[in-house]
Amino acid sequence: MAKTVTVVIDRSDAGAQRRFEVPVGRRETVLDALFYIQNDLDPTLSFRCACRVGMCGSCGILVNGGERLACRTALEPLGPVVELAPLRYFPRVKDLVVDFSAFYSRYRAVAPYLKPRPAVVDPVVAPPGSGLREEIDLGLECISCGLCLSACDVVGQVPEFLGPAALNRAYNLVADVRDAADAERLEVVGDRRRGVWQCHSHMSCVEVCPKGLAPTRAIAHLRRKLVAQAFFGRRPRPVPSQQRFAEGAR
Amino acid sequence: MQIEQVDLLILGSGGAGLFAALHAYDTNPRLAILVATKGLLGKSGCTRMVQGGFNVVLDPRDSLELHFTDTLKGGRYLNDQELAWVLVHDAPATIHELETRVGCFFDRREDGTIHQKPFAGQSFDRTVHRGDLTGIEIMERLRDQVLARGIPVWEEHRAVELMVAEGRCVGALLLDIRQGRFVGVEARATLLATGGGPTMYKISAPSLEKSEDGLALAYRAGAVMRDMEMVQFHPTGLLAGAGRVTGSVLEEGLRGAGGRLYNALGERYMARYDPERMERATRDVVSRAGYLEIMAGRGGPQGGVFIDVSHLGADFVRKTFPGMVQRVRDVGFDLATGPVEVSPTAHFHMGGVAIDPDGHSSLPGLYVAGEDAGGVHGANRLGGNGVAESTVFGRRVGDALGQEAAALPRGHLPPQAWEARARHHRRFWERKGGENPAHLLQELRQLMWEKCGLVRNQADLQACLVGLARLRDRLEAVSVAGSPSYNLRWSDALNLESLITVSELIAAAALLREESRGSHFRADFPQENDGEWLKNIFMALSGDATRVWTEPVRFTRQRPPGWEAGKEDEAQHGTRVAPGTV
Repeated sequence: MAKTVTVVIDRSDAGAQRRFEVPVGRRETVLDALFYIQNDLDPTLSFRCACRVGMCGSCGILVNGGERLACRTALEPLGPVVELAPLRYFPRVKDLVVDFSAFYSRYRAVAPYLKPRPAVVDPVVAPPGSGLREEIDLGLECISCGLCLSACDVVGQVPEFLGPAALNRAYNLVADVRDAADAERLEVVGDRRRGVWQCHSHMSCVEVCPKGLAPTRAIAHLRRKLVAQAFFGRRPRPVPSQQRFAEGAR
Repeated sequence: MQIEQVDLLILGSGGAGLFAALHAYDTNPRLAILVATKGLLGKSGCTRMVQGGFNVVLDPRDSLELHFTDTLKGGRYLNDQELAWVLVHDAPATIHELETRVGCFFDRREDGTIHQKPFAGQSFDRTVHRGDLTGIEIMERLRDQVLARGIPVWEEHRAVELMVAEGRCVGALLLDIRQGRFVGVEARATLLATGGGPTMYKISAPSLEKSEDGLALAYRAGAVMRDMEMVQFHPTGLLAGAGRVTGSVLEEGLRGAGGRLYNALGERYMARYDPERMERATRDVVSRAGYLEIMAGRGGPQGGVFIDVSHLGADFVRKTFPGMVQRVRDVGFDLATGPVEVSPTAHFHMGGVAIDPDGHSSLPGLYVAGEDAGGVHGANRLGGNGVAESTVFGRRVGDALGQEAAALPRGHLPPQAWEARARHHRRFWERKGGENPAHLLQELRQLMWEKCGLVRNQADLQACLVGLARLRDRLEAVSVAGSPSYNLRWSDALNLESLITVSELIAAAALLREESRGSHFRADFPQENDGEWLKNIFMALSGDATRVWTEPVRFTRQRPPGWEAGKEDEAQHGTRVAPGTV
């Protein structure tokens, strides 16, 4: 008899089946269990995934109460009973599927896109160790999975709080020598109600980030910048040296 | 049924779709653009999954001509040379734009300029990357710029039909997955950028929602398709038992950096297949070698071969390939210190819709960019040329759409025509207790792997076509029940229909090509036959029948080595294969 685990799923239809016995192999994940249930036990179960290797951030759910990517969570070590539920603070579409508008409304508020400085026309020359990218590198590779937002203690209390992922992105841009919009972005993240001052540094975001990022650190950097700006005003940033590209390639 | 009107409908939100949206918008901000995507914005599809990187000529010691020749050699001279030239020529400007306008930042060399790493089949190290998970940086930043422009996006709206009126594509029928209802979108121009994704093979790499929808839609709408027999298998797909991580790619940079491949006997078997290039031979060669080793009984416990990078030093491996190390660790192995079992995995479809360099298909109003298009890569794609294709062509076709779309006529179809197609895709709901599409999909994946995979022959391909016809019959016995909202079994049925349609074209073209070239290998015709087969196979649905024909490759920029001018004339005016029926 193959080993099985009991998977209990928080369904949106109160009458739908919630408990499933799922055989478990050594290398299988929570996502594999969801596929097994949907394919063979209850075709009406809804869940979301795409890449299945932790690159797209589509399959975030609560696993035994904690935020996880279903595709990167091994099933066997979770014990005999595994409880699955949709992410917190996201409107539910159906079963484990949530609407990402909760994530994007916050993300969009920080103007999460590069606004290029006119003086930077070619790729920036940034030798390792130059200080231009080291801090940003630590915060890159965010996959917008929303786990940090669901795990954030503050979002539950202060729904307007911009949340960890948006502030992490804001810091990456504020620290980017290519960007022209640091002043307006600092104003948004410095807002008393929505901004960085709301963070209690519980570091729940750091704990759940599947990419090992530390939004709390980005938030601390933003606070420091806001304080420095309050005392010393804005400092003009020098134009970085740039890698010449052929005229035709510009 | 709700029917919306836009100027430009973009299907897909990967590198091609989003870059096209940005360029169409920037070229003509008054254009009414709608992006519809099967998954979440920028999260579904395969640009997101790009690991190794992006081939581009940046170094003065490299040249466009070298990149071009590498691309043609890799493609065994079956490429559309004008498309391949666009790829090579526009790649530097694309990287420049990604770095200076879009907001990407790629890894740097010691001197601070953009780093380029070694990949297979290249005469110069020209692959730009961000670590070993490059697609995340590209897609996150393209998505940011789409948000910046406020371009409307419909998430989880999959296209199920391109609508055609009087010989023009006039939009698409979409299924709103969340609501489980159909929406029609009339558009002056429709861009197909859903990405191919050959997931009809037992072991395959693309993201799980992919099912060659774009190719199936274009074919059903009557667009001319080309090179459908050319499916790329990546040599190093991770094996993780029955888990769905199986088939995901361990990136080519591992081989580029000096990774070695061994069989279960500990032999470095590439010495028998390509003693000169060894593991840095092109993907077609390395994949086939691995497959033949496995078939000869020299595979490991999971039926694979082994990639080993431990001799490069554990610290180097952990620092250079952190994403790969983590993924392998997830399934219980250590890439930094020992061999990892891998198998060839279906990865990319070189075949697709025939286009011109600005993305026009043969069907007026239908534009195509990215993996849905065919011709750029010929018979085999070089690693690093995939994300280059989706972004280069997305960008370029976006420019063309920005200039052309507003002036294109708006075709109309009566509401009944939309309803009729919607009814067709709802037919699974009229049955009860029928076949399970998830199980049929498993059968399809087994069939294609065994009969139409890395090593093909006439009898197997004929059996494959018979098997596909049976699966098509059984698709018509599939039943779907429950709420239409986010109904995954319905999605499975629609995916299966696309995959069967495209599988039929792959098998039919593979049967016709009686030679071996690039990723297409025929055990009964194991040689490359330049005299007969420097030709492309084209297919188009015409009424109820499929027209199939061949055309000699036009060597508009470069002839294959050893190609004689006399032969070329003969081939150009030579006999054409009579139109047949699939």
